[in-house]
Amino acid sequence: MPTIVAVDVSLSMAQPVALDSGETFTRLQLAIHGINTLLDYFSMYSKLEFVAVVAFSSTCEVISHFTRDFDQLKLKLNRLEECDKQDIESALQAINTIVLSEWGTATPCQVILITDGDTRYDAINLSQPSATLPFPFPGKMVAVALTSPGTLTPNLRRLVEVSGGDGSVVVPDSQLSPTCVQNLFHKLAEDNYSSFTGTLKCGHLSCKVILSPSPVPYTKTTDFDLETMSLTGLLEICGFVEVAHVGSPAAVSRHLVLPHPTSAATPASHAAVKVEPPESDDDNHDDGRTPSFCVLLHGALKVENMAALCQVGNDWYGVLYSWADSKKKSNLMLTLLEPGTDTVPWLGNFKHLGVPSDPENKNPEETFPVRPPEKRSYSQNCVVWIRQAGLQSDIQKILRHARKLPEKTSHFYKELNRVRRAAISLGFMSLVDGLAAILERECTLLPGTAHPDCALQLTHAAGALRKPYSRDPKYNIMPMRTKYTDGD
Amino acid sequence: MNDKRYPANHKTVFVLDHAPYFGIPCECLIEFDFTKSRGAGFIPLAPISKSLWTCSVEAAIEYCRIVWDIFPEGKLVRFVVSDSTAHILNTWSQSQQNVQHLLNGLSGVSVPPSYRLQDQTDYSVVHGLQAAMKALCECSETQHERRNSLNETASMLMNNCRVICITSARDNTSIKSIQDIFLNELIQANKIAASSDHLIPVNHCHLVIINVYPNNIENVAVNPQALREINSLLSCEVHCAKAGGQIASKLTHLILPHYDLASTTVTGIPMKEEQNASSSANYDVEIFHPSQVHTALLKGHSADVGLIKEGADYETVILKWCTPRGCSVAEMNNCTAMFRATPVDINSRPTSCLVNFLLNGRSVMLETIRRGGGKMISHLLAAHGGEIFIHSLVTGRSILEDPPSISEGSGGRVTDYRITDFGKLMQTNKLVPLRLSEEENKPPWPIDKMKERLNRFTKYWPLTISNTSIFNFKMHLEPLLSLMLNESLTDDEVVECQHCIFTMMTMDSKHEPLQTSLPPIGGNRGKGPKREEQYRIMWSELETYLRSHLHSEQHCRVLHCLLECRNKDIDDKQHVELVQALRELDHLPKYGRSSRTGTPTLGGGDSTQRTSVIRATTDSPMSPPPLQQTNRSRHRTLLEVLISRSNAENAKNKRPEFFGRLSAEPLPGGGSVAKLYPNLKIDSALGRDADRIE
Repeated sequence: MPTIVAVDVSLSMAQPVALDSGETFTRLQLAIHGINTLLDYFSMYSKLEFVAVVAFSSTCEVISHFTRDFDQLKLKLNRLEECDKQDIESALQAINTIVLSEWGTATPCQVILITDGDTRYDAINLSQPSATLPFPFPGKMVAVALTSPGTLTPNLRRLVEVSGGDGSVVVPDSQLSPTCVQNLFHKLAEDNYSSFTGTLKCGHLSCKVILSPSPVPYTKTTDFDLETMSLTGLLEICGFVEVAHVGSPAAVSRHLVLPHPTSAATPASHAAVKVEPPESDDDNHDDGRTPSFCVLLHGALKVENMAALCQVGNDWYGVLYSWADSKKKSNLMLTLLEPGTDTVPWLGNFKHLGVPSDPENKNPEETFPVRPPEKRSYSQNCVVWIRQAGLQSDIQKILRHARKLPEKTSHFYKELNRVRRAAISLGFMSLVDGLAAILERECTLLPGTAHPDCALQLTHAAGALRKPYSRDPKYNIMPMRTKYTDGD
Repeated sequence: MNDKRYPANHKTVFVLDHAPYFGIPCECLIEFDFTKSRGAGFIPLAPISKSLWTCSVEAAIEYCRIVWDIFPEGKLVRFVVSDSTAHILNTWSQSQQNVQHLLNGLSGVSVPPSYRLQDQTDYSVVHGLQAAMKALCECSETQHERRNSLNETASMLMNNCRVICITSARDNTSIKSIQDIFLNELIQANKIAASSDHLIPVNHCHLVIINVYPNNIENVAVNPQALREINSLLSCEVHCAKAGGQIASKLTHLILPHYDLASTTVTGIPMKEEQNASSSANYDVEIFHPSQVHTALLKGHSADVGLIKEGADYETVILKWCTPRGCSVAEMNNCTAMFRATPVDINSRPTSCLVNFLLNGRSVMLETIRRGGGKMISHLLAAHGGEIFIHSLVTGRSILEDPPSISEGSGGRVTDYRITDFGKLMQTNKLVPLRLSEEENKPPWPIDKMKERLNRFTKYWPLTISNTSIFNFKMHLEPLLSLMLNESLTDDEVVECQHCIFTMMTMDSKHEPLQTSLPPIGGNRGKGPKREEQYRIMWSELETYLRSHLHSEQHCRVLHCLLECRNKDIDDKQHVELVQALRELDHLPKYGRSSRTGTPTLGGGDSTQRTSVIRATTDSPMSPPPLQQTNRSRHRTLLEVLISRSNAENAKNKRPEFFGRLSAEPLPGGGSVAKLYPNLKIDSALGRDADRIE
């Protein structure tokens, strides 16, 4: 997850720290040393991390926007200088602005605040709702106080609590020194940036993988339930679905699935059946040359344009597919769906997915998308007369059919009964009478060329509407029989 | 009380006043004669008017339509009609939670009774309120389930609910008395519920009173009241609305906070004009959806996304239609949230155009326009399975920017993965939503069976072309390779498989070189391995393959055929049992999967190693049926399996005993006699069997 480092450059950071060796460092120098340690850790273990740095005193200056170029960032850090007094509010504002404009509200970010002791951000301030806290993004704050060990930092603690997320306050465990700061930041990195290692499995084929960024526990709130869930570490493929059928379901998070560099031993290296003579020893040590199931899966998913549904936890599923940032570089991506077995309505209950028992005679109902048992209002021609236009268009429809009698006889009566039934449900009896009147009037306005059935049906329908039994919702007005053929 | 898990909108009761007063017209005339005037002497028809009752009913139904379009389950609404008594139109049961059910019920209720001078009947909305209170104390299906669940959530269950009462009161005092009566009823009902096993007391109720009056009345003696807590049980608000038009718009406003919904106006929808088909005009359609759809837009930028106030009291976010390019549903968009959406004005022409566009399977991206002038694609509107969804897309920068290509990582430089074969495996394991019958609707679920199935399909599966021989000779070995994956084989299929083996045997004996259909790759460039070597590798891999797929007696027959052809040892039937036992061991994780997650099996290699350790054995067609065998092997413990394994291993290290001596029958006078060519008869018997079937 992206990291934003906020370093205190108020005047107090200029306090010297004398070492036993006689050397002296300012706290700011130690802070910079700490950030460098962190950046070194990233370039070793977490090259995809984004880091931004802001320096705050009474104002807040953006030293570097989010970048992966850690060397450039280190150069910029050297330019830091102590300024005037500390104002945390300005730092928080800057953090929010930078994170929101860069990543939006959904990306979890790590905030590392480095200062020289407890803040003056007093409790009175925190008791009021603040515009800056909690963070408007899923943020986790780690506050580092470069101070003597054992110092109490109640205000920092409050600040971390108010920021939301499960952050912490870190204080050195020995007298301040470059080594101590280095250890502190190294531990901070290990605690917060460990990569997530899991196993990707499809039947007997499997491979160790790293998920990047590391998934964070997810808290799901629904009516009646509140549950926090974490990944088990096993990504077990349950089957395959065409990408077009998956749609674009809501994702809790997305992760690159990278083959674990040390998982060279793959299941299919059957020594007995090797057609090829073993390659030279050098090549065997090369990771890139050892087949990995992860790469095979990616290739096949891409070629077939399919996605793999995999179970990632108890009642928690994800979708694996080939994803390309640019045209050239494609990768295996895991989209974690919302936990639960029926969180994507058009895929149905995940537990009910399987292969048809008889592939030759497929049940036509067993296809994607899964349709709900009831149609929604917008797909079932429902009657809404709240606006007059709705009522008028329904009546005009009847009249349009009326003028085309007898061809449209069935349509005419269908619409007529639909409107009549709706009117009865709504207790709108004046409409039924009005309808009778309008049909009678329509009869008088018929042109001479009209089919004789026209007048007959209109008079019949109007008469029926005026009859008391037509107020029964179960009753249907039937067309008048105008043709008497031999059969009748 | 404000626990998010127990929102008041889980249960709502509409109390509709059906007293004679509601039969009067709302005095909002509907111009009824809209046919174009046709010459002189034309007498227009008299306009008509809805009654107060019709206005209330249609507004309440519209409220339900929106709720159930967006939340097909879990948001329950009941209707109570109140005149001289209460008429309850539906229950909390999900099957009665639809507009059609309510409309049918309303047809039965019909118009309000008419005034009679000497009428002593007590028409009052109070009957309805009493009935509503009783309804709220009944458990919904979900509540019932939760209460009877044996976990800690059962005791935490809160029964929060809402009553919307549409009535017409004389003055503020009558409103006050409605509230008092309601509170009193609430306390009484809670008392009864507390002493009952199947009823649930109300923790908090939100009472919304909508006081309606005909449009021609000017001075209404009832004042609107903002929401206030009356006590810990009850909060109340009062609204006034002219019957003609205002009840519906009032409820459309109230529904937003009630269900945490928000409004979006899709603007700039190009639509062909009916009259002038060559030009197209732009239209707007307003939709409702849960408010989380806007979360990403509003956080941090609330002043910036072009929120405008409609003529109404609520805000709508304007999103611009982006003319779709290509098919966007076919790819995976980075979507953070998706919710059902429903149009506000359902019967308008722009709405039905948009709805048809979406329901026909097309989708459209929507753009946010910032005040500053910037714009970005922020949402996707699409229908899935006949339901319209709005998806929120990620607008910020992606942290997955510029990732390393998969070819740069571990295994990335291998070029001969069996991608086509894995593609076939994916096609044969394509998931569909199964319709489960009553007895199938319980564990093991189809998805769990899928994992077993994939286990079977990948039992022996080399990742690369250079690591396999048999899969490169598919033209000779199919359908054997795919048939062996089946759970069971018919006799015909066994014959087909055997036929493949015979073909290979013939080719081998004729010294025909094995031709792969694939171009030579990697280390294979130049002169390939010698022909004899090719056959040796192929036969040995085929044996490994067949041994990995001994799913039934029929599968064993195929293996036996190979072994016989290759003149391999065939001893007793112990082998099959062992495979069975080992297979059962393989299946053990089914019952204790967690123990396995840490150390996943390394796949085909593992089991083939095991099986190849054990000497080949065979079974005659007269051997006991497989069912019995599984039963017998089930009694074998892990110890027994291991002992027989080590025995087999020991036996291998010794000089092998002559087959004849092993199978010989002892003679009474010492010594023994062995049958020569014991399989001859079996084979011919097999042939006869096949004949008969054909």
